[in-house]
Amino acid sequence: MLGKVIAIRSVRLIATLFAVSLLTFLMVEQLPGDPILAILPPEALDDLENIERIRKELRLDDPVLTRYFRWVGDALQGDLGKSYITDQPVSDAIRDRIPVTMELAFLATLLAAALAIPIGAFSAYREGGYFDRAMSGFTTAALSIPGFLAGIFFIWLFTLKFNWLPSTGWNRITDKGLLANLKTAILPSSALALAPLAINARLIRADMIGTLKEDYVLSAKAKGLRDRYILMRHALRPSSLTAITVFALQLGGLIGGTVVIETVFALPGLGTRLISGIYQRDVMMIQGITLFIATVYVVVNALVDVFYLVLDPRIRRQ
Amino acid sequence: MLRFRRRALVREVTQTDYTDLSNVTQPKSAVRRFATTFLGMPIVVKIALIWLIFIVLAAFYTRLDRILGQALPLQDPFYQPFLFGEAKPVEGPSSAHFLGTDVLSRDNFSRLLHGSWVSLIVAMTVVTFGLVFGGTIGAFVGYTKGKVETLTMASLDVILAFPPLVLLLALVAVYKVRNLTMIALVFGVLGIPTYVRIARASTLSVASREFVQAAEAIGTKRMTILFREIIPNIMPALFAYALINAGFVIVVEGTLSYLGLSVQVPEPTWGNMINEGRRDIRQTIFPIFWPGLFLTLSVVSLNLLGDWLQQRVSVRSSAL
Repeated sequence: MLGKVIAIRSVRLIATLFAVSLLTFLMVEQLPGDPILAILPPEALDDLENIERIRKELRLDDPVLTRYFRWVGDALQGDLGKSYITDQPVSDAIRDRIPVTMELAFLATLLAAALAIPIGAFSAYREGGYFDRAMSGFTTAALSIPGFLAGIFFIWLFTLKFNWLPSTGWNRITDKGLLANLKTAILPSSALALAPLAINARLIRADMIGTLKEDYVLSAKAKGLRDRYILMRHALRPSSLTAITVFALQLGGLIGGTVVIETVFALPGLGTRLISGIYQRDVMMIQGITLFIATVYVVVNALVDVFYLVLDPRIRRQ
Repeated sequence: MLRFRRRALVREVTQTDYTDLSNVTQPKSAVRRFATTFLGMPIVVKIALIWLIFIVLAAFYTRLDRILGQALPLQDPFYQPFLFGEAKPVEGPSSAHFLGTDVLSRDNFSRLLHGSWVSLIVAMTVVTFGLVFGGTIGAFVGYTKGKVETLTMASLDVILAFPPLVLLLALVAVYKVRNLTMIALVFGVLGIPTYVRIARASTLSVASREFVQAAEAIGTKRMTILFREIIPNIMPALFAYALINAGFVIVVEGTLSYLGLSVQVPEPTWGNMINEGRRDIRQTIFPIFWPGLFLTLSVVSLNLLGDWLQQRVSVRSSAL
């Protein structure tokens, strides 16, 4: 039963990935005019010999579909072409920069989880109380502040006013150690964590309010168990399923969300490379990174789906 | 034979206008109804609505000002008085510039109001496209089901498979023209899939209701049911989502503007004002603070109003 569901999901995943790659490819392809005009920087367009060489190299005279399948085939082998502006292979750029992006997304998830679970649980426990109302205001605000604005505000507050933390730059764990690394990572990941924190705190609160009304919670109370024990042991457990799923789903989204935050903090991540690629009109780079991010996003979401199926047998029946 | 007789019966039933209730109750006027609704809102939602109305009015005021060649009382958003020794860059509030001036000594207040136009148009386009196209498509595929539904949902899933910001970035990157029309169109088209999903989901629940079954039983045409029974009933939920979505759109447009990838300077947008203000963040936060405040307040207001509407809608639909 479960095996069959997973098989169906896998087929769908592969189909989606194909469609995503086709869309990414066509985005550039459907531009009017010669694709070479899009691929090469304007300065390089005077050199006709160079143009001919690159046209041969990319075999641009082949039909679109042939080129698409070649592009996907190469991509499957880890070759996404190379930038015609910096001559750097796209896959090298991704390999270079993915650790920063992953760390930010991971730290942000961790931060959001560490805060959202107690906030959500306590809000539900004292539903309608001062804490609950204050937190409802906080989550509305946190949801509404754009990530980049929060980032700039953090820089202004913690770097310019208090001078506690550096505003830009990145210390690699391998070079400078964990503490120096965290010093540069904490501000951007906090800015990134705001939105998931708010969403999760709300979801966990709503879920817990439902759970706390269950009969078994009442019977636990009747047994004379302490509130804290009931909250942690009896109520948080069934609600944690929702929490885990949402956190995992957001991890995929955060990889997209880091794009702007990295730019605000000038971090050497995938996002800054995408943005600089856009400024330079580096089409191969844009195409490659977009495909990579979308693939990670799709695969993570599919894994979460399956994971959820494994955890909660009730959903399998649907 | 039996079938023919039933048809005749159906015609008789459907041609009698049972919906004419004019003798029963006098409907309240739109103004009265709005006033009652408004007074019933919690205070924060009232403030949110007033703020949103202010932003919409401000945006149209600045357009009128442009059409009239800056005849209305508002500073020129492009005028740089420091070139003529009249004001300094990044000035604090004064009687002439009461929210101060920006990096190029332009009037902050005027630029904020002018910037609201871009946010407004982009958000309105997404919401209109979403409600009109997304709503109709979603209701249609949700009600008719079958292969069309499977195919539509599968192809929309491909667009939803991308992180929204990344897809937008890639799209604006490959198109060279970045004016308001093009940005609004890209946002509008990419916004449709989520509306389709929501419209379809609520159609599935509405379609099993008694009033739809009743309409089917008396032989009403399916398309008539779609437009008379289903779409009016999914609209409130879709509209509540639209408000929250509009807030999200404003954030994303602000983000693109901040990256310099939306409507191009010197045209003011809240996002590019924040970007310009960043250069002077060491001296003063105000050139960032004001557009940031406008942006955040607008999004908070849309979220509050959307949440409020959503609660009302869910109460209403459970009472149906």
